[in-house]
Amino acid sequence: MNTFLSILRSLPGDLIRWCGGKLTAAARFAAADHPYVYLSGCALILTDLLVYVFSDEYGFFLSCTPLVMAAFALCAVFALAALAALVSKRRLKRRYRSQSRFCTPAARRAARYGSYAVWAVTALVLADRIHVLCRLIRSVMAMDTNPDPFFQAMVYMFYNSRSLFLTGLWTTLRLAFFGTIFGFILAIGLVFLRIQTPTSRDRDHIKFVKILCSRFAALYATVIRGTPMMLQAFIIYYVGFGLFTDHTELTITEINSIWSFFIAGLTTVSLNSAAYLSEVLRGGVESIDAGQTEAARSLGMSAWQAMMKVVFPQALKNAIPAIGNEMIINIKDSSVLNCIGVVELMYAATSVAGIYYKNLPNYVSAALIYLIMTCIISAFLNALSRRLSLSTYRGIPSSN
Amino acid sequence: MEPILSIRGLEKSFGDLKVLKGIDLDVQRGEVVCIIGASGSGKSTLLRCLNLLEEPESGQILFNGEDLTDIDTDLDGLRQKIGMVFQSFNLFNNKNVLDNCTLAPMSVRRIPRQQAEETAIRHLEAVGLKDFIRADSRRLSGGQKQRVAIARALCMEPEIMLFDEPTSALDPEIVGEVLDVMRNLARQGMTMVVVTHEMAFAREVSDRIVFMDQGVILEQGTPAEVFGNPKEARTREFLSRYLEDKAL
Ligand SMILES: Nc1ncnc2c1ncn2[C@@H]1O[C@H](COP(=O)(O)OP(=O)(O)OP(=O)(O)O)[C@@H](O)[C@H]1O
Ligand SMILES: [Mg+2]
Repeated sequence: MNTFLSILRSLPGDLIRWCGGKLTAAARFAAADHPYVYLSGCALILTDLLVYVFSDEYGFFLSCTPLVMAAFALCAVFALAALAALVSKRRLKRRYRSQSRFCTPAARRAARYGSYAVWAVTALVLADRIHVLCRLIRSVMAMDTNPDPFFQAMVYMFYNSRSLFLTGLWTTLRLAFFGTIFGFILAIGLVFLRIQTPTSRDRDHIKFVKILCSRFAALYATVIRGTPMMLQAFIIYYVGFGLFTDHTELTITEINSIWSFFIAGLTTVSLNSAAYLSEVLRGGVESIDAGQTEAARSLGMSAWQAMMKVVFPQALKNAIPAIGNEMIINIKDSSVLNCIGVVELMYAATSVAGIYYKNLPNYVSAALIYLIMTCIISAFLNALSRRLSLSTYRGIPSSN
Repeated sequence: MEPILSIRGLEKSFGDLKVLKGIDLDVQRGEVVCIIGASGSGKSTLLRCLNLLEEPESGQILFNGEDLTDIDTDLDGLRQKIGMVFQSFNLFNNKNVLDNCTLAPMSVRRIPRQQAEETAIRHLEAVGLKDFIRADSRRLSGGQKQRVAIARALCMEPEIMLFDEPTSALDPEIVGEVLDVMRNLARQGMTMVVVTHEMAFAREVSDRIVFMDQGVILEQGTPAEVFGNPKEARTREFLSRYLEDKAL
């Protein structure tokens, strides 16, 4: 039983490695000697796949039958010739280069021109699909009822609720951006509380205050990290609301205009980022070699000066990538704020879904927008940290 | 004459491990004292206690008559007068060479930038690094880093310099450039306490050799006495290990 389990557990990895190895070997075999032919073979496969996107619609190219027939004939001849070449290569092995008819200069030239033609066909098919796509979108935009097919419905609902989607998108961006900035400012304060350590030269009351500060910051981080952000959003919103009703004479509408969902949401994101970033900064401070502090202290600098002039600037520089990551995380995690009614992207998608009684297409739209945002920002941040020659973080960070 | 540094009954433990077991040592103004001893005998700990980077449990450290271990002394003020050079250089990684040297004078002694830079350049010149004042401190070779570290300490115009194995992290062929700088410093009359394994250097430069063993000063005297005619068996044993591969 145990052996069976262990075989089972190791199987996927080994299988993938085995298949991967075979595939690379096959690709290398196919690509050797005729790289042009190999690449256009790939292009052929791509063309074939492209045709199946919106397969019932034809654009300027695929609707012209003689052209399509010619292209098909060309591709078929090319593919057959390539296949014959592969067979011959398999048979002749090492002598292929010197003896095969497929390796004469004339044959090579023919293969090259043939592959250009195949690429041209691929490009045409691609353009045809884009043409179809544009036509589809234009026709959907002109419709006045929600069409049935998935993609059309998605486009229709996005187009007709675009202002809601854009409001959501803009709110999400503001939440993530300002939330990270405010969070970072708070985090700097928190980390200074956190790293207070009493020394034997401190007076007793100073020791007490230092311990208190550091415990408070640790507790704050624990509480924030140990509870879901959605819950924090509720608590922060209702605490703020309660403070206004208890201590002011404002009406509910007036309170809602001051303590709006957005402000409550922004507070939530900021307090959250503060906790996470303060941990990042503390890690940064602790990762700086103790020798840096010792050198500063040995020159007569105070603990505060050593921290401010030597240790913290280095920790901060190391933390820059983490700040960018936090921003990306906030883009995604601010989606939970729809629970208190902040009109961010998730809220927008849910509302639109409610208006049309259609869920999936809208959530897919929202997912695409989130994906595009996070990809753009992470590409931008990677470029930035490469420019600053910081350690770069590849990929999109996941939640805290 | 009153010693510049006077250590009485110094004791220090790390947890259960007693590293210094009652050290008494006087250092006179202008004197060069080399501390030698086996690894783990407490040399670094002693040196680091001298400017209170390590806090001793008991004992006194009098610097110009002021007790560093006293909670009421201005420790940062006294540390300005005690330069320290580390085995691992510890240059400030976020500063270039010149800023490494001017940071403390400007922020601690409130010396204006221009004057601090003039002093720094003078000291950097003296250690042969005039051409590197704008260089990134992380890009220097080990020997260059250590010379910057010495210049940086000198910029505070200390009355005494502590060296903790300043050449141990260096390749053998560049040890010399750092020792040359230290030799010059000794010649100019700087008071120095040097922990080192460079026996030839210790013999040549120091006025007094202190041999430490297991947390106590086992033997001290002039280089001729300690190297030429060690009284203690352990000293002989320790020195013979060096004499074997290096003719002194
Ligand atoms: N921060 C510390 N915490 C715990 N133990 C320590 C610490 N620093 C030093 N020790 C221990 O104290 C003893 C003396 O160390 P020390 O560094 O003073 O020796 P040393 O004579 O300088 O040796 P070396 O020639 O290897 O530098 C060693 O056993 C060491 O493990
Ligand atoms: Mg040591």
